[in-house]
Amino acid sequence: MEPSGEHPLEALAKATGRDFPNLMDARRRTAERLEEKRPRLAALRHSPRASIVLMGSWGRQELTAESDDDFMVLIQGARRRLIKPLIRSVKKVLDRASGKQGVFGGPVFSDRLVQDIGLGGDDNDNLTRRMLFMLESIPVTGEEIYRTVRDEVLSRYLDESVKPYRPPRFFLNDVVRYWRTMCVDFAGKEREGPEKWGLRNAKLRTSRKILFAGGLLPILDCFRFDEQRMRGFLESEFDLPPTDRIARSFMENGASDAGARTLGAYDEFVGRMNDGDFRQALKDVTRESAPDSTAFSEVQRLGRDLEDGLLALLYETQYLPDVVRDFAIF
Amino acid sequence: MQDLRGNWERQVAVAWESSPFAIELSALSETELPSLAEYLGAARSLPFRYISIHGPSKQRELPEEELVAELVELARYADGVVMHPDTFGRPELYRPLGHKLLLENMDARKPTGRTPEELAATFAELPEAGFCFDIAHAWSIDPQMAVAADLLDRFGDRLRHVHLSSLSPDLHHITLTAEHEELFRPTLERCVDVPWIFEAPPPR
Repeated sequence: MEPSGEHPLEALAKATGRDFPNLMDARRRTAERLEEKRPRLAALRHSPRASIVLMGSWGRQELTAESDDDFMVLIQGARRRLIKPLIRSVKKVLDRASGKQGVFGGPVFSDRLVQDIGLGGDDNDNLTRRMLFMLESIPVTGEEIYRTVRDEVLSRYLDESVKPYRPPRFFLNDVVRYWRTMCVDFAGKEREGPEKWGLRNAKLRTSRKILFAGGLLPILDCFRFDEQRMRGFLESEFDLPPTDRIARSFMENGASDAGARTLGAYDEFVGRMNDGDFRQALKDVTRESAPDSTAFSEVQRLGRDLEDGLLALLYETQYLPDVVRDFAIF
Repeated sequence: MQDLRGNWERQVAVAWESSPFAIELSALSETELPSLAEYLGAARSLPFRYISIHGPSKQRELPEEELVAELVELARYADGVVMHPDTFGRPELYRPLGHKLLLENMDARKPTGRTPEELAATFAELPEAGFCFDIAHAWSIDPQMAVAADLLDRFGDRLRHVHLSSLSPDLHHITLTAEHEELFRPTLERCVDVPWIFEAPPPR
């Protein structure tokens, strides 16, 4: 939050005279639906130290009409049996819970998230759960448990290797690893079949990049802090959705105009995704039909504006280019 | 860069010497459009991440509908098509260019398209059009650079690229001077996320 009490996206809008109507609408929609769902989810019987956590569009506070309800039942501590609420009970309350098993098909135990970072135990699913939990999630029930587990993950990243006025390299490497994993998995899914190629490609260019930048930028901006203040900074950053973290970084690094264009492009994308016809057009796009798709060329344009703005922040501002040079590649 | 007009291979080579990032192919006269279309149609992908075409601002004879049709065809090969708004008869005819149409602010010699107020009417007719900010043109209107700031305040959300140079006393583009580089710096710092195109040989 800014000293004025405004969220950074609002502050950026005020500083540049640029509105972000679709993002603001999506935030309102997310808050309303959260209030609608929370009492019913809270009424489900919970095991001790359990929290229902929403992810994806919910965590980014960007719900559109057709957003999926990605969630996890988070349990603090080690694996155990007979966990409540049951996954199927949560799905009954949510409208568009993903039917597929896999990443969020069962309860998530915090010991795995916290202790299995790296090496063979940290498989693709565990990495995905940890990153979505840290970068784009919001608690619906058990907020105290949620915060405790987030603190545990953060403590693991901010271990004795952290140096003052340097980005925490362990955390940075994991966030970069996750982004590259998403990119590699996109290619892997394409080999499995062409279904939803257009929609997956569109998300990789936009919302997945927002997710990545929303983790990358706070971590790089840690160059401003000693160890004590670094932790407080990251905690307050991860209380905010990724678009706020990005807006804050643009403003603090003296690139408000570029930030307004960057988040303006993303705002346009979020607005388009609220249009059923546009979304369907993207679902229908294949690699072969992409050059003739108006919807896909729109996404290419917006994705490029988004990327150009983020690259300018990383490479054309006063301080970040040196930090990127020293930490982002090796 | 007058001597490069119509020589597309050479324009590409000269731009590549400055940067592999962006190029603007200038067809300032209508008579250059056919050869540019032929070149782009025959060329393999050009080695730039951002390709812009500067549309005709001189020797205009084609009916506006036909000119727009030619520009739409050329736009298939480019990220943007820059046009001078003072050359428009009926701005709405340019709508088929959509987001690829970029309106450039004009210099002090031109009768219109120079200030935010003058450009606003054209943008109102072309809601999807982007903005090509010519900083030297803005300087020619106001050497204190307040008009330049106003242009970015007003159309910054549409900004797609920058034209960069200094101007001779008769307002022709010349190599950016050290004095202007310093004067323009605060304004250019607001444009770090878009390509900058040198409209004259860059300073060495």
